[in-house]
Amino acid sequence: MDAHVSASTSSASVSGAAAAAAAHEDGNMSGASERLERPPRRQKQQRNNYGSSGEGDSPDGAVLTVPSVVIRDSTAGPSRLSGGGAGGSRDGAAGPSQQEIEEEQGLKYGAQHVIKLFVPVSLCMLVVVATINSISFYNSTDVYLLYTPFHELSPEPSVKFWNALANSLILMSVVVLMTILLIVLYKKRCYRVIHGWLILSSFMLLFIFTYLYLEELLRAYNIPMDYPTAVFIMWNFGVAGMMAIHWQGPLRLQQGYLIFVAALMALVFIKYLPEWTAWAVLAAISIWDLVAVLSPRGPLRILVETAQERNEQIFPALIYSSTVIYTFMGTHTPEQPLPTSSSSPSSSNSTETTRTTQNSLPSPDTAPGTSSGSRSGNSRHGQRQQEQNQAAAEGMPLVTFKNNLHGNAEAAGFTQEWSENLSDRVARRQIEVQSTQSTNARRSNEYRTVPAPNQPQMEAQEERGIKLGLGDFIFYSVLVGKASSYGDWTTTIACFVAILIGLCLTLLLLAIWRKALPALPISITFGLIFCFATSAVVKPFMENLSAKQVFI
Amino acid sequence: MDISKAPNSRKLQLCRTYLMTGFAFLPFVWAVNVCWFFDEAFRKPAYPEQNQIKRYVIYSAIGTLLWAIALTTWIIIFQTNRAAWGATADSISFIIPLGSP
Repeated sequence: MDAHVSASTSSASVSGAAAAAAAHEDGNMSGASERLERPPRRQKQQRNNYGSSGEGDSPDGAVLTVPSVVIRDSTAGPSRLSGGGAGGSRDGAAGPSQQEIEEEQGLKYGAQHVIKLFVPVSLCMLVVVATINSISFYNSTDVYLLYTPFHELSPEPSVKFWNALANSLILMSVVVLMTILLIVLYKKRCYRVIHGWLILSSFMLLFIFTYLYLEELLRAYNIPMDYPTAVFIMWNFGVAGMMAIHWQGPLRLQQGYLIFVAALMALVFIKYLPEWTAWAVLAAISIWDLVAVLSPRGPLRILVETAQERNEQIFPALIYSSTVIYTFMGTHTPEQPLPTSSSSPSSSNSTETTRTTQNSLPSPDTAPGTSSGSRSGNSRHGQRQQEQNQAAAEGMPLVTFKNNLHGNAEAAGFTQEWSENLSDRVARRQIEVQSTQSTNARRSNEYRTVPAPNQPQMEAQEERGIKLGLGDFIFYSVLVGKASSYGDWTTTIACFVAILIGLCLTLLLLAIWRKALPALPISITFGLIFCFATSAVVKPFMENLSAKQVFI
Repeated sequence: MDISKAPNSRKLQLCRTYLMTGFAFLPFVWAVNVCWFFDEAFRKPAYPEQNQIKRYVIYSAIGTLLWAIALTTWIIIFQTNRAAWGATADSISFIIPLGSP
């Protein structure tokens, strides 16, 4: 359950979020870190300079230029980016004033995405708080998770304290282990294992935990129900959820299921963690998030970087995305092989492009390669080919990228930046691929995929919004839910506001630093401070005021 | 995913898959299908696959409606006769309501 907020799509965060059952939770959680990711500083001029492999091999060394890349920002009016021409440094022509304007716009649209994130986060908290307040089952801890062997039964605060510390250490080490396991699996391209794990996790949440939830819900409201109806409802709910999360479904439905799953997971934590342990875990997980995302060898950072390198959308099951994720590779089924640059030579402006991509595409093992899942079985050679092919496909949205069809300003969000970033990445990867291939003289000419300049008929566009890992949803909700379990609305609302402020600050930092950021630390720190300060200071103060009938 | 940007053949395939899945006692999937493809079927300018999508959407809607009626009927029958059926009703009860003291 890592949560990531990423403005750029490619960084998928692996959040194990949904995951699973208590047992699995930790593993997933390891991802608990969220990241806010944002593409690096935007570049004025997009150069696709693939040749620079530095090998001295003349075909490889050739600089392929994109004749005219124009990315239009429909909301901004005039086209902001026009790259092209030969050579030149990336930042070349940009005037400082224009850059400022762009940054401003980036912030502005970024802010709209932030607001879009507020709604799901608030909804998730609302579900948790409403459940905590109406279903007493989730309010009391009688059964414990395997990971928390110390049950804080002693009345002594010192004993409770070390119990909580030990519990959270155990839990965190499980989380760390699971994160590392996930990274290793991902690095080794064991996609099937990871998907199996995630499917199992969401299966448990959607069926078993939902069943418990339904039972407690009905019991709380004293509604009679028969088994056939209950089984029927569970079956429908679960299967539709699995389809929406792991396969394809309407975006709203998927978002709804993700929010529900996160809320359910948060309820599980609130229910099964002893009280002090829950607070200790919140603090520990936000520190872990900080380390995992920001340290140079942090697992989540490695994960995001790997995903970016491969340019994949990993595990959409685990990340809440505020807009549609429309991945190239995922959506083009093998039988309709990429309507990419190559397939329609007539439409592409550059003859070189068509030649080269035609070379690379029709090779037999490339077509299946478009789906990431099938990848693991391929030979190394196949993988390389595939990567090329993907790079070719990835080049497309870069150029043909348009902002939202309907000219909806909001959707413009980070997209342009994202596209620039994408081009950067694609260029980088292509250079890498080329350099690996330069040893192979026979093929050195084949690979020269340049994003085709203008392809109006290209339908596949990617829209990317901010993404927040489900782990963030879960731990935000745990904090608010735990605060509300004391039955004090002042504290609950203080926590809620603190978390949203923390989220805003994180997103502001995102705009400044433009890299993946953990979303938990600031919010959780604020939340904890506000929670204890409110319940210890503000609440008694308010009670005194109202008792004395003083109005301020 | 965003259906409006998928190629038409993909839409048809998705709609069909949803319809077929719905036969496994999954009216909720049918309902999703109806909501999801309603615009595609009835509001978009015509395209070759639209007729079939329209048909699938209508079938899904009929299925959803039938299931809704059946389920509502069963629930009404069960709830009204629960006390009368005695032990039989108790044995298939997921939640037996508590009486108020």
